Amino acid sequence: MARKALLISPELCIGCRGCQTACKSWNRLPATKTVNKGSAENPPDLTPNLYNKIRYVEMPSNSNTVRWLFVSQRCMHCDDAGCIKICPAPGALFKTKEGAVGFDKDKCIGCKLCVAGCPFDVPRYDEKDKVSKCHLCSDRIAEGLMPACAKTCPTGAIAYGDRDAIIGKAQKAGYQKLYGQTDLGGLGIMYAFKDTPKVYGMDESPAIPETIVFWHKVLKPLAYWGLGGAAAVSLLHYLVIGPKKDEGGE
Amino acid sequence: MTIIRKASAFEILNHWVLAASFFILAISGFGFLFHLEQLNAVFGSFNVMKDVHNYAGLVFTASLILTIFHYLPVSLKFGADDIAWFLKGGGYLSKKAKVPPQDELNAGQKLYYIVILLSGLAIAASGFAVWLRPQVPDIRKLVVLSHLVHNIAFDLMIIAVPLHIYLATLANPGTLRIMITGTVPLEWAKKRHAKWVQRIGY
Repeated sequence: MARKALLISPELCIGCRGCQTACKSWNRLPATKTVNKGSAENPPDLTPNLYNKIRYVEMPSNSNTVRWLFVSQRCMHCDDAGCIKICPAPGALFKTKEGAVGFDKDKCIGCKLCVAGCPFDVPRYDEKDKVSKCHLCSDRIAEGLMPACAKTCPTGAIAYGDRDAIIGKAQKAGYQKLYGQTDLGGLGIMYAFKDTPKVYGMDESPAIPETIVFWHKVLKPLAYWGLGGAAAVSLLHYLVIGPKKDEGGE
Repeated sequence: MTIIRKASAFEILNHWVLAASFFILAISGFGFLFHLEQLNAVFGSFNVMKDVHNYAGLVFTASLILTIFHYLPVSLKFGADDIAWFLKGGGYLSKKAKVPPQDELNAGQKLYYIVILLSGLAIAASGFAVWLRPQVPDIRKLVVLSHLVHNIAFDLMIIAVPLHIYLATLANPGTLRIMITGTVPLEWAKKRHAKWVQRIGY
């Protein structure tokens, strides 16, 4: 199955938050009461009941009173996903055949390591301490439907399709490289930025924390090589040199 | 044959509490590291295994702290005889090797205890940080650091403990009984812990 992806074009977004509502509707997530803190951005952050949201970026501008950027954000569905890498519970976080990072609350053990392993600070925990995040509407895309957010987006700011086709189309439209095209093995959510990622509130070069990579490559294999090595050295010593025998009273 | 006491009943009990909790922690830890779903036959599920791991960690920590009273003072007395003991490979590299007289613990046992104490305290502290998630400015950074410390300490212990088991059983016949009856023959102690035997007046 071809890897699926979303292409987010902030300049096409009008900040209507239809994607937030459609997501809540499809995933049956309750609304949360929030407080107005002087920004139209609402809610202010992802929650266990808010899988996607629009970040509102207000910038000074020469041509206008203000430059207002709307950046749709959610789980980035990394190819090399830090959350899956660090997760100690088999099957709690996994790759779907469409390339999305899915989760299974029954298998989640609530350790919250994925929160630390995610380069984008995406996973949240519900009241039962189970992982909660965007799953690219895995249930919909498995049936050939598009994710609820992309389906409802009135301007095409959230475009859904085969990842390769999306990249090809963007290149024809003049984008040399999309944000997320190659980061972390290639993200499932890519952005057509017209400015530096920083302007849109995104990390220039997102990466899994180095110590987690070190753990995965060195410390983890060392656990069984170390155990096996210590046992092998003991056996070898026993066979070659042998035990210390008390050679009678001296 | 004169039999002398080397370990108290409490020390023996605590040793086995520490050992049992360590085995539970190490086995479940391996399960988490390598997704060993076969362990569901023992624990039932990874959810249960997590709780067992956490609470066994509590027992391990308490037991580890109690060991300080038994082993830390003597382990910190590190002198010329201990260095000489290491230079001779503890007498393990050849049948003919002779090592300098040792105290209640030999130099290798002292080093082992320090390794277990330090890695044990590190694995406990980092484990509690991941489990209890204290209120700090950047919890994600603390968890990433704790994850690193937890795994380094685990690697140290998973290498040290098998060597300890070998040295206390097959490699040194007559040693295991210290952790069962708590006693050893005087002649045996004179050969292996001469300074200690002298100190306690034999």
